[in-house]
Amino acid sequence: MSAQVIALITVLVLAAGGGMGSVAMAAGAGSAGGLCASPQTVHGFATCADIPAAEREGAVIIYSPDVEQGTAKTLEAFHALFPKIGTNYVRLQTGALYAKIQAERQARTYVADVLNLSDIGLVFDFEKRNGYQRYVSPQMAAYKPEYKSQPEGNWTWGSVNIGGIAYNPKFLSGDQAPKRWEDLLDPKWAGVVSVKTTNSGLQHFVWYMLTKELGADYWQKFAQQKPHAFDSYVQQFDLLVNGQDKVAESAQYSGYLEYKERGAPLEFVLPARGVPAGPEIWGVITNAPHPNAARLFLDWFLSPVGQKPFLQALHMHSPRTDVAPPPGGAALSSFRLLLPSDWQDFLASRTAFNRQWDAMTGRR
Amino acid sequence: MPAQGVGLSARLRQLWGRLASVQGVTTAVVFIGCGTLVLYPILFLLLESFNTGDPVAFPPERLGLGNYRDLALDLHIVGNTVLVASLATIMAVSFGFLLAWILSRTDVPGRRLLERLIELPYYMTPLVGALAWSILAGPKNSFLNQLWRATGGQGDLFNSNTAFGIAWVMAFFEGTVAFMIISPAMKSMDPALEESSRILGRSKLQTMLGITLPLVAPAVLGSAVFVFAEMLGSFAAALVLGLPARFYVITTAIFESTFSYPPEYARAAAMGFALFGVMFVMFSFYRRIVSRGVHTTITGTAFRPRAMAMGRWRWMLVAACWVYVFLAVVLPLAALLLTSFQRFATVMVRESVFTLANYRTALQLGPIRIALMNSIFLGVSVATVGVLIMTLLVWIIYRSSVPGRGPIEYLIMFPQAVPRMVFGLAMLWAWLNIPVPIYGTLWLLALAYFTVLLPLGVRTLAVVVLQIDRSLEECARMCGASWAYQLRTVTVPLLRPGIIAAWLLIFMASVREVGASIFLMGPNSKVIGPAIISSWMSSGTELTAAMALIQTATVLIALVILLRSVSMISGESQW
Repeated sequence: MSAQVIALITVLVLAAGGGMGSVAMAAGAGSAGGLCASPQTVHGFATCADIPAAEREGAVIIYSPDVEQGTAKTLEAFHALFPKIGTNYVRLQTGALYAKIQAERQARTYVADVLNLSDIGLVFDFEKRNGYQRYVSPQMAAYKPEYKSQPEGNWTWGSVNIGGIAYNPKFLSGDQAPKRWEDLLDPKWAGVVSVKTTNSGLQHFVWYMLTKELGADYWQKFAQQKPHAFDSYVQQFDLLVNGQDKVAESAQYSGYLEYKERGAPLEFVLPARGVPAGPEIWGVITNAPHPNAARLFLDWFLSPVGQKPFLQALHMHSPRTDVAPPPGGAALSSFRLLLPSDWQDFLASRTAFNRQWDAMTGRR
Repeated sequence: MPAQGVGLSARLRQLWGRLASVQGVTTAVVFIGCGTLVLYPILFLLLESFNTGDPVAFPPERLGLGNYRDLALDLHIVGNTVLVASLATIMAVSFGFLLAWILSRTDVPGRRLLERLIELPYYMTPLVGALAWSILAGPKNSFLNQLWRATGGQGDLFNSNTAFGIAWVMAFFEGTVAFMIISPAMKSMDPALEESSRILGRSKLQTMLGITLPLVAPAVLGSAVFVFAEMLGSFAAALVLGLPARFYVITTAIFESTFSYPPEYARAAAMGFALFGVMFVMFSFYRRIVSRGVHTTITGTAFRPRAMAMGRWRWMLVAACWVYVFLAVVLPLAALLLTSFQRFATVMVRESVFTLANYRTALQLGPIRIALMNSIFLGVSVATVGVLIMTLLVWIIYRSSVPGRGPIEYLIMFPQAVPRMVFGLAMLWAWLNIPVPIYGTLWLLALAYFTVLLPLGVRTLAVVVLQIDRSLEECARMCGASWAYQLRTVTVPLLRPGIIAAWLLIFMASVREVGASIFLMGPNSKVIGPAIISSWMSSGTELTAAMALIQTATVLIALVILLRSVSMISGESQW
């Protein structure tokens, strides 16, 4: 499947208008042609970034949709290694974050250095608009080709989100709980099942993959359950814990691990057919005000040294095979992941997804 | 012809003389400044509402009426919005009027303490009320439903996830502003009129309805128009309580459509302008009523504010105030306090695991601390500078004979008529597209807060200005006082209750602000409102509860310190 995915990504990127040729190239190490000649190793990770220049810049600013305290903890870990580089972030839902950065860039105002988006559609759109500054990190060799831009250097998957089914065993016994995606169509879940809104990149993946697996009428039938829609797994899980809802569809595995760690009564179901997965995608952006610090941060973040505090704070999975799963979580290889094989088809499905989802969740 | 020429030049000289005066220059500067701040983003918004092309391209690549036609698809959302806003306004203004009357015009015990307690919900982020009431009265297993079943009840008695539930929370936590607008007007009333009514044999209730209510009609109407507009743009309660019931209002629909991809900015802008139309009609109605009546209650005759003796009724009235305090303050804060100590938020108390970790996390998060300090700094700055400018503006609109004061009154109400989230987006486009590098700084947030809070400040001050008899100012001018001297020695001292109320309202509204801040804050200009919303959306109720309580405590401490300082300087007790 990997070869097929690579081929499709290549076709897609080429079809995107040959935008790569005009992508702004990073000055300095690791920029135009690929990896720099001699990466140096600092604090246990290899980097092509100019560290003295990064320290002179003195700051790195991240735009990310991740949980506030998780992002703060990750940045604290970086700052502890490079105390001369201050860190800061803006946290918004992916859609809002993208809107903000687009508006800033149209007005030629550049604030962010590194961008993290959880919606691959936005990533392709940003790439098409020459938003990413190409920087081939020495860490990228550890990432599968399907987890990074082609040619590599624009963006890379920084983590993987998995969507399954969750329920509260205090209110629903294991034998009554749904085991398969099809079980969610049972009328007994009407009015007591939740999903995420179209703001969620993961929800788009779930919709797309289950449409492929179970047919387009799956969602038409599911719409009769009148699900509640939320932006975040937090609201989904809070309603499960309080017994207001019985089941959460598109439940985020990382959120489940986080709730379990805190002792919440939740169980997670991995249907045998597979679980849709979606990435969080990171890259240095063009006209970043602190480009050297941004490259250094990206090198650190993509390395096992950076992935470890990130995964501990946010309970997500690393796309790297040499990084342990998040606390309490199973290895990524143990999941039967459902990923799109045709990215162009996936991107083109966005409008249909939004329309169906908004109607189903009562938003329009 | 020569005579005409002389007449024209004399008139021009006269006009120039008026314009060149201190008053003329001040008026021009205030009009142009405020007009620009309001109109500039509105024009961007208007343009965007016709955008039928690429939603993220600005300026729009294609224009059309499609977004306005599509409003027909959102009629149920408009209906929900008007229903909730109407219910909340009725509740908020009724509570506000009754409480203001009890605490300003009657002799109930503990008035000062009760007044401060009733104002408390306005010092909290709006999310506090929504979270607290979802814990207290949510469907199925909320605390009140558990209590109901424990006492033998069947099924679920309470459900806050309804139009009434959302309006209830809005009325308590955002409608407090009605009390804060009506209260200064009640305090500024000469009790002679009420006393005359009592002497002539009218009952206390008849006096309240026949004398007090008509006299404070501008304040009640002003607060009703203002509260209705606030409720139309209200967000937090509808977000927390409405979404689980698939109940959307315009703000939550706008939030969802602008915060997703592709963003539906044009739909949000068109919805914003639809609301603008509704508010424009309402404001015109209010203005017509106010301009027809005579509402002066502060005249040249000296009076001492006196409370009406209520006899045995005073205990019932004070009990009503304490019930309000219990429902609006004690119960929600208790629920939130409990949640803030839970390891994971749950209404099933027997499953609770208690911890201090949420407070530790909230206090250790550097960006949250900075956001809180930024919010307080902005609150103090915007309230202080804003009240000065708004006082001038109010005097110019309601007291001067400057041409164009009518249109400017409408103009400064524009930000109230457009949901703040949409206005925030408009300000983002507007300020990003001028070559002044204030984007990402606190300066931009200060300008945004001043602009969106203009209607609140002006409305609060206008209520008191309308009550002041013009003869007092005319007397000062007749005695030879300049315009500036008259403002300083007559108008401003008479306006003091309104100025203090406006300062407090602007301070609090700045600290609570979310809609505009979401789009305008940068990494180095974070503020607490969006941080708390973000925490609720991504971190969980228990951490959010701890953050909201820390914010409330910090704001209260800051307010006490500030008001005590003002008291020490002015010699009058404010707190």
